[in-house]
Amino acid sequence: MAENVSSEPPSPKNIIIASGVALLVALVVLFVAILPAEFGTDPLGTGELLGLNALSRDQNPFEEQLEGHRTDYVEFVLEAFQSVEYKYLMDLDSSMVFSWVADDELYYDMHAEPAALGPEYAESFEQGTADRQMGSFHAPFAGIHGWFWENRSLNTITVRLHSSGFYQSSTVFRDGGTFDRVIDPLAE
Amino acid sequence: MAFVLKGPARFGFYLCTVLLALFSLSAFGHTIEGSDASFVEAIDGPAIFPFMYLGAKHMVTGYDHLLFLVGVIFFLYRPKHVVQYVTLFAIGHSITLLFGVLADLQVNAYIIDAIIGFSIVYKAFENIDGFKRLLGIDPNTRIAVFVFGLFHGLGLATKLQEFDLSENGLVTNIISFNIGVEIGQILALSAVYIMLSIWRSNASFLRHAFITNTALMTGGFMLVGFQLSAFFLQSPY
Repeated sequence: MAENVSSEPPSPKNIIIASGVALLVALVVLFVAILPAEFGTDPLGTGELLGLNALSRDQNPFEEQLEGHRTDYVEFVLEAFQSVEYKYLMDLDSSMVFSWVADDELYYDMHAEPAALGPEYAESFEQGTADRQMGSFHAPFAGIHGWFWENRSLNTITVRLHSSGFYQSSTVFRDGGTFDRVIDPLAE
Repeated sequence: MAFVLKGPARFGFYLCTVLLALFSLSAFGHTIEGSDASFVEAIDGPAIFPFMYLGAKHMVTGYDHLLFLVGVIFFLYRPKHVVQYVTLFAIGHSITLLFGVLADLQVNAYIIDAIIGFSIVYKAFENIDGFKRLLGIDPNTRIAVFVFGLFHGLGLATKLQEFDLSENGLVTNIISFNIGVEIGQILALSAVYIMLSIWRSNASFLRHAFITNTALMTGGFMLVGFQLSAFFLQSPY
């Protein structure tokens, strides 16, 4: 390729070559790298050859757990202005589904404490006032994960919780004391 | 400059620079992501500064918009002209950003992004005198910059519309986003302009201008290819 001299405008031939090269290089990169890496399409087999296919593989929706899941039912009767905390011991990336329903509105706070770090590292996920909440939960770290419920009315309110998930045990925090509950897995 | 790379090697060097600019940003699609996205969804009511920040961030990290602007100001030596062209571009994208979101205009983001990629090809082709010397035509650059500004704005609008934007404070938030886009553009352009000015004071500028614009064109083609692939190959959900 000749050196492009500054003052001379490019010749039509050079413009065609440059545009052609630009298009060609873009197409080569597109077919060799971008299609396999981004879209999982491997027309030239280069995705396999260069290991680029792995980049476009979707995350597997299946997540394996080592222990059987447990299922749990608890109910708490909350007198006026009483509160209770109920938490499950869960590993990182384990999950559960739950539904809780109360007779009347309660203040709730779904939160978690990382294992061994204690309450000052607690992280809160959902707070509000409601008489029910259903959902699923995926533990962002190992620790205890659960709810704080508070009856801010003068009536007595009962809250009932159903849950199933990959937790190991649970703890009730109430009236200044803690009570551990053993929950057996459905399958060993 | 001390570069003594010749021919293909030199082209490779410029291409690498452009590619680096393209790939150094993790995602090719250039959308609003992660915690920014959840913020935008959760917001209800006017949030001037957060939206301004998002607009500026979108522009500063938006290699597609930036590459086009590099093409636009590549041969603009006088600050006055830079201001003129950039104002045209800003008016263009402000119109479509505002009306696109307010009129709930649904345009396919991939097609718009492909057109944005094409705008880079167009400007680079113009910069290597393709229109004048190869096709014998002389399209008005100002009109082109304005029209592509309209498309870039539509691109911004589609990115914002991917979210369930609350009607509450919508106008304030879009205008804030737009102001942020302009701020981000000024920031990014200042950097580009300073670098180009330093480079221009060196004799190597004109020698390398042709090949730099060819590399720019390559980047543009690549964006077009990427976006069209996404349009045709990606599942719609």
